Amino acid sequence: MFDLDEMKEVWTAYDKKLDQNIRLTQELLSSATLNKARSGSQRMALLLILESVLWFAIVGSLGSFICRHIGTLRLSLSGIALDLYAIAMFAATVRQIVAIRQIEYGRPIAAIQKQIEMLRVLRIRITQWGLLGGTIVWAPFVIVTGKAFLGLDVVNAPWLWSNVVLALCLIPLTLWLSKTFGESMGRFPFIQRVMNDLAGRNLNAAAAFLSRLSQFEVDVQ
Amino acid sequence: MTMLLQQQAFQTLVDQHKKILYKVCNSYCRNREDREDLAQEIVVQLWRSFGSFDERARFSTWMYRIALNVAISFCRRESTRTRYILSDEGQLLNAIDENVQQSDEIQALHQFVALLDPLDKALVLLYLDGNSYQEIAYVLGISETNVATKISRMKQRMRQELSGSAPA
Repeated sequence: MFDLDEMKEVWTAYDKKLDQNIRLTQELLSSATLNKARSGSQRMALLLILESVLWFAIVGSLGSFICRHIGTLRLSLSGIALDLYAIAMFAATVRQIVAIRQIEYGRPIAAIQKQIEMLRVLRIRITQWGLLGGTIVWAPFVIVTGKAFLGLDVVNAPWLWSNVVLALCLIPLTLWLSKTFGESMGRFPFIQRVMNDLAGRNLNAAAAFLSRLSQFEVDVQ
Repeated sequence: MTMLLQQQAFQTLVDQHKKILYKVCNSYCRNREDREDLAQEIVVQLWRSFGSFDERARFSTWMYRIALNVAISFCRRESTRTRYILSDEGQLLNAIDENVQQSDEIQALHQFVALLDPLDKALVLLYLDGNSYQEIAYVLGISETNVATKISRMKQRMRQELSGSAPA
């Protein structure tokens, strides 16, 4: 083994060999190809734009539902609860789009990595609160969709309220499942991410990296 | 600058500094497919940011910033990635002689770099590549004094690890 300065000499020799040994495929560097390609952050922004359009449409439809049933308190209140949830999700999606657009990879690593990690924290929080909120607005969702699509008024249906109780009971079960099985879902990366978000594992990792970044930025004597 | 001139300038500069691309990808990804994905992701990001390159810094330093920023976030990304950003046929970065990185010393060096966390990896990579403390500070966004202290600590740590692992 050798020390860092000896490593530097080995690295310099390696660098010279690389000159003759690597090639770039020039066709893939053409502006036509590059302009067509989307980076990871661009793909993410595009998905979020689509998501925000969807939430916006839901907010609008719920507004119309509330207007139509303003005289029926149980229906309008359910619509308002659901609309508030949709507005919050729309705002959260827009916030993520703005955060992604502010990331400039040409800026210093410490600053950009902090920005990216903050965005990750925001996404994890949105997943956690979105799913928790989703469980809570389950009853208004059934009431509103039942009326809007089937013309049924299900407010007094006993099964609705037993469903709400069941959904609330599922929260601790979901958290337990996420903590127990989140790590072993490697074959399903999306499910694994959601489970790790719920279990707080991703949040802990993000917090650890943010703390490492702060430590990295500090002048040590 | 017209689009054509801009593209030619970009191609020339990236080709001149392709070693940065190769070294960053090799240091941050062990798997060959991941390395290719990362190389493509870096090139796309370089092209997207090329308009903001103002020549106040050297192209290599600016390229390092982008390549390392993309590499760190690429490795920390937790969800699925869409493969083949530029093309699903052919590779962007080709090693003509795969043996170029087979020597024992290079392997030991790669093993050492692989054990570092993403930020220390960036620091060591920049140092090994002969960048000045000022340039390293510019890329990382920390002070020169901080760079000097970190490098000296890294050397110290290595010495301690080596003396600890040396046979009696």
